Amino acid sequence: MDALLQQLERFSEVLSVSRTNHVSTWGPETVRRALQWARYLRQVYRRFGSHGRIRAALERRLRIHWGPEGPKSGLTSFRALGRGDVLLSLNLLQNRALGDAAGRALLQQLFPGAGTGDADAEALQTRLVRLARRRAALLLLRETDCFRGGSPGLLEDPVLLTQAQLLLGRLQEAGETETGDPSGWLGRLWTRAPRVHFLQVMAVALLQPLEELGPSGPKSLGEEIHVLVRWLLEQSEVLAAFCRLPAGLLTSIAERHPALSRAYLVLLTDWGQKLHYDLQEGAWVSADSQDVPWEELLRRFQSLSQAPPPLKDEVLTLLESCKARDGNFEVAGLSVWTDLLLDLPSSASKLCLGGDKFEVPA
Amino acid sequence: MAQNFTNLTSDCQYWLQKLSALDQASTLETQKDTCLHLPQFQEFLRQMYEALKEMDSNTAMERFPTIGQLLAKTCSNPFVLAYDESQKFLIQCLCCLINKEPQNSGDSKLNSWIRGLLSHILSAFRFNIKEFDLFTQGLGYEPVDYCPALLKNMVLSLVSKLRESHLNGFNTRRRMAPERVASLSQVCIPLVTLPDFEPLVEALLIYHGHEPQEVLCPAFFKAVNEAFLLKKISLPTSAVVSLWLRHLPSLEKAVLHLFTKLISSERNCLRRIECFIKDSLLPQAACHPAIFRVVDEMFRFALMETDGALEVLAAVQVFTRCFVEALEKENKQLKFALKTYFPHISPSLTAVLLQHPRDTPQGCHHQLLQHVSLMLRKAVEDQACGSCRDPFESWFLFIHFGGWADLAAEHLLRSAVEAPAAAEAPVAALLWLLAFYYRPLDSHQQRAQTMVEMEAVLSRLRFLTLSRSSPISAEELRAAAGEDSHEDPMQPVCGRLIRHLLLNFLLWVPAGHAAAHDTITLMACTDEISHEITGFLDQTLYRWDHLCTEAPRPAKLARELLQELRARV
Repeated sequence: MDALLQQLERFSEVLSVSRTNHVSTWGPETVRRALQWARYLRQVYRRFGSHGRIRAALERRLRIHWGPEGPKSGLTSFRALGRGDVLLSLNLLQNRALGDAAGRALLQQLFPGAGTGDADAEALQTRLVRLARRRAALLLLRETDCFRGGSPGLLEDPVLLTQAQLLLGRLQEAGETETGDPSGWLGRLWTRAPRVHFLQVMAVALLQPLEELGPSGPKSLGEEIHVLVRWLLEQSEVLAAFCRLPAGLLTSIAERHPALSRAYLVLLTDWGQKLHYDLQEGAWVSADSQDVPWEELLRRFQSLSQAPPPLKDEVLTLLESCKARDGNFEVAGLSVWTDLLLDLPSSASKLCLGGDKFEVPA
Repeated sequence: MAQNFTNLTSDCQYWLQKLSALDQASTLETQKDTCLHLPQFQEFLRQMYEALKEMDSNTAMERFPTIGQLLAKTCSNPFVLAYDESQKFLIQCLCCLINKEPQNSGDSKLNSWIRGLLSHILSAFRFNIKEFDLFTQGLGYEPVDYCPALLKNMVLSLVSKLRESHLNGFNTRRRMAPERVASLSQVCIPLVTLPDFEPLVEALLIYHGHEPQEVLCPAFFKAVNEAFLLKKISLPTSAVVSLWLRHLPSLEKAVLHLFTKLISSERNCLRRIECFIKDSLLPQAACHPAIFRVVDEMFRFALMETDGALEVLAAVQVFTRCFVEALEKENKQLKFALKTYFPHISPSLTAVLLQHPRDTPQGCHHQLLQHVSLMLRKAVEDQACGSCRDPFESWFLFIHFGGWADLAAEHLLRSAVEAPAAAEAPVAALLWLLAFYYRPLDSHQQRAQTMVEMEAVLSRLRFLTLSRSSPISAEELRAAAGEDSHEDPMQPVCGRLIRHLLLNFLLWVPAGHAAAHDTITLMACTDEISHEITGFLDQTLYRWDHLCTEAPRPAKLARELLQELRARV
């Protein structure tokens, strides 16, 4: 077992190195050995894929190399073992630093031509060829009008969906180790990736069904999604930016995740309180241009008030209690909450008032 | 060999020009043009590979100076790369061009350039959306990690868009514009054999837009049909039926494909024929009258072209059986009237013929046969009814359900030999049925003559079985059948009929069992007759199976005879 773990680590290094200039020192023999290694590890993957304990041990060892900053190059997970040979091949193929002799040896290993009798090599060739075909398919689909022009709704966008699935996949791998603290690398991702994009991906991820039918039977995404929610709640900066995503999207998320809906409502209250009524303009404005404007606030409350009951009632209760706190005015222009309630569609503002009022933090 | 190369060299030039022209603009027309040429280009690449693998890099560059340019152009054409096995041949060609012993920097540069091209085909996929690339890199993923998932999600997204568009009749905003659907079907042409695309192909086939004319391009239907016939794609029956309903040439091609398989397969094995036919999905599809009529028409044509060959007859009968089975299985609300399937025949006749003898007890078979005979005779001889123009139509319908003729022959023989005292009239009906089956175009008189001859044979055979001490010999049987008389020019088809009766005698009459092997040997003097007898035995066994007829001794004998005949071939 130890020997296997060591080989795993060494191969991971080899994989990382294969993208650097260091390969200029590699000769044909090195290339051949590296590919053989990859092939061996792929067999390990196929044999132990269903062995819970062994697989977990291998995952843990690979996780150590993530470091606090998240997955880097090299082998990042057990699943990657199954693709190690393709990863290595592609890295080497793309690497201009690879010498001529080594390059020729590489091509000979990858594309031996038909009828060499080496089943493994032919299998690798088949997978590479299929990769080329799939790549071409993606290019063709991208060109069709269906994806260009006219942005599809965020939830229907397959590109975002794929990224959300990747994100959840990583979270799942992180979760399989001890306490799997993803906040480190999630934080890093937040700083590296384009922000709005990252938030959109997170939103799509949060709306994924909790049980998904994967290739190896149903898997539950509940854990990963909760991890995301927890992280989001801890990061006030991220949360504030997150809550600026389109109103409809946020309403759906709030329906699904009560913890987030509470945080959202708190934020909305804060934003509302920053607005004051400008008599000259006859509208609600805020002192700081960075703040959320009246129109957006209204839009968000409108969307929330059209959600199904538990959420809708919470929202209306909140508005009513804020309005009461402000003095329960019925005339416009005195309390932002009154105006909001006035501007909500009439069917939505019907509310069955229960006993207790929603307590607003002062 | 050298000549092969000159062809390839000129082909090389041609394809280089073609690809350059196609590169200029990427409009729907050029895409159509590209898709049309994909199979030939793949064949060219394959031949190129065969040639290149025999030579080294320098020779290759000398013989085909433009090959490098051509292959490079190919690498940037996604249609070619997406098609079938083209990418495999392309990669192999490129590998052949690698200089295994580079002498100078020029050679090394070539090698490095080729590696670059290979790398491009395999991995240069950046979605060209910066955010996407940054995000996935941030997660530590490579294109090879997410390509399959991305492809799957894009396909599913398109499938649900198509479905929505289909359902939202009046909500024009959610509808996919017909041009988009058309261009989508165009793009799918090279990809129909990629398993990831099956859901999309299916969705397109089932998609009905809101325009009166066909939105999908014909080349798409053609490509799907080819892939289906070669079993390179698996589609649900409903999708295949949709394909054939929307694109007639595909249906015709499918039927021809079936015919080819039936011709080249082992003859005279109905079980295998049934497998082929069921496999082709044509019987299930034929539940749609439109499809049934086309298939039936093609069978009719084949029958006429081959002058009623027994193999075609057998195929028609098996097909009809499978079709009726499929029809019964379909629990659809819309059951089409019989007239839609058989427009030239009166529905009552069709209904009678569609009955399955299995549904009536054996004792009542005789009445059933009489009824069939009566109705058929009425349809044929009654010119005034006007429901059918000539006897051919009635005959063509009749032969669909060939089991009736076989059943009639069996009954005729058994009643003639086992219960000679029975009345004559019922026998006449069966005689007529058989005479009509084998010689539909006879005049009234000719048919009467045939019936008389049949009766004579039957009485001779009956005579042979009465109070015998010694077993019947083969020669006696042959004489009774009248096979010795060769004067009659109408002999051939009448001969078939007589042989049919004789064979039934051998199987059903215990006294005939002993002489069976010898008689068959005597009868099977030509290859053709031998085939005919084999066919008869196979068909009889097959029919008994499906009718659940209990006849252990005859069945055993039939199997033995069949084995013997087959071994002789």
